[in-house]
Amino acid sequence: MATSRDDFIIAIRSAFLKKSTQQKFSLLTLVFLSIFVIILSNLDFKVIRYLKIGINELVYRSSFVVSIPENFLKNTFIEVTDYSTFFKDYKKNRKELSELKSKNISSEITQYENKELKELINDYVSSSDKVLAKIIVDHDSPFLKSIIINKGSKDNIKIGTNIYDQSYLVGRVIEVNYKTSRVLLLSDLNSNVPVTIAPQNVQAIITGSSDNFAQIKYIKAGITDELTEKSIVYTSGTGAIFKSGIPIGKIRINESDKSKKFEVEFYSDFSQLKYVFAEIITKAELIKGNQEEDNSADKTKPIDAKLQILEDELEIIEQSNLKFKEENENLKSEIISLNNEIIRYQTEISQKQEKIKQFDIDKSELEFLRLNLEYSHKCRKSFFNVKGFSVGTEGYKKCILNKGRIND
Amino acid sequence: MTSLKTRGFYYKLYSLLPIIILFISVLNEFDFNYLNLDYFSFNFPFILIFFFTLKEFKNFDYLLVFFAGLINDTVVGLPLGISSLSYVLICIATSYFRNITIRPSPIKDWFYFLFILSLLNSINYSILTLFFSYNLILMNYLVNTFFTFAFYIVFASLFKFYLKGIND
Repeated sequence: MATSRDDFIIAIRSAFLKKSTQQKFSLLTLVFLSIFVIILSNLDFKVIRYLKIGINELVYRSSFVVSIPENFLKNTFIEVTDYSTFFKDYKKNRKELSELKSKNISSEITQYENKELKELINDYVSSSDKVLAKIIVDHDSPFLKSIIINKGSKDNIKIGTNIYDQSYLVGRVIEVNYKTSRVLLLSDLNSNVPVTIAPQNVQAIITGSSDNFAQIKYIKAGITDELTEKSIVYTSGTGAIFKSGIPIGKIRINESDKSKKFEVEFYSDFSQLKYVFAEIITKAELIKGNQEEDNSADKTKPIDAKLQILEDELEIIEQSNLKFKEENENLKSEIISLNNEIIRYQTEISQKQEKIKQFDIDKSELEFLRLNLEYSHKCRKSFFNVKGFSVGTEGYKKCILNKGRIND
Repeated sequence: MTSLKTRGFYYKLYSLLPIIILFISVLNEFDFNYLNLDYFSFNFPFILIFFFTLKEFKNFDYLLVFFAGLINDTVVGLPLGISSLSYVLICIATSYFRNITIRPSPIKDWFYFLFILSLLNSINYSILTLFFSYNLILMNYLVNTFFTFAFYIVFASLFKFYLKGIND
């Protein structure tokens, strides 16, 4: 018993402390070093932060270079899959494009109005600038959903910067280095976004699910019944982490036998991202701006500001009027062409009706001639048939159509 | 003289191949994730470290394994040191297993690997959820453990060819 315990202790001691051939450190030292690194990396010291940034920069770049062959394979695989659905996608896209074109006009008007209202209720005007960023590392890990982009603090990226795919939200920056940043995707389990669900105007928080959809959480009970598959999910801006009004996805209802689950299907496919936009927001406070203007101008500034707003409003209305006019013109030309088409169809119909009428006459005459051949001897007046009719009279015709005289 | 030097260089390169593959795999996260199969994932560095620290530990520098862990944490986005700790713990486990094993057998190695894998993934999961408040799906860990265990025997048979080459 004692011997086996001794053996165990010797084996353990050997495993931990023995420095084998070519090993510079014992494993126990490395265990302590690992624990030390874990603790140290969570302390926010300036030196450690810079060291971490340095390591990140180096590792991300190396990872990008090493991933080139795998990315090549991955892209080839995706391209082959894309080609197989190319025509189907093309038809779907064409249909969507025509729908979107018509919606675009009203959307632009709403944007103008929205911008104006935001300027009125906020004490600052936010001007945003979207910077195109390339994704250098995207390993699509099953545990953590994040990507590395090639823009960092050098390009004014900050922690919390919103990241877009076209105009759809894909995530936010959680780690900034000098020339690279890590973006936490909306699909990550640790991602929580306050959202508004339209048109029901329901407030909720969505959480990632490690898949290409999110789950709706923290929603008032009973409200979910109002949600439909056409409901749109966009950021509410609550908590000032995400800008308000950014589209995220649409509601997907997952019905099983017992329960009804509401999920958010993202507009953007996170596994296909190659480039994203990082939104750099600069806030210019209106009050400060006004004060500066006060120094250089007279006291009639508030009236000027109001006039400015009214002028802007006028401009927006004029622009919208122009758009409506354009739309009216288009509709008019469309109505004219439709009317022409109606007239063309009407003449075509009348021609066809004439033809049908002629055909009916021909058909009845043909029938009479056929019967005439067969029954003329029964109807024609002759020496033997005194009760018959003279050829060409109405009675003769009736007699032929009746296949002989009724009394016969 | 030159040919001896060349042969020496190639031999050195060949002996360092597992370490080079380890670094490539942590930088690249070699796991076929782009196939988009539900839950499918496996931990290639675990297989590599376990096999080579068990069979060919003389050419497998523990310090480099530690650095590979740091790189893996940086790439994946985990707190720095977590993977290093896991990798070093594998080294300890294999070192202990080597000391107590008299007659090595692939099946014993395989099931010992399953035990170590489950233990390490449990430690990882516990540290990340308890100390770092990460939200993680346990099912992903279980499936990852299963596939890593299943793939071990495949990779182990491939690595044996490498060992044969180095011994010859």
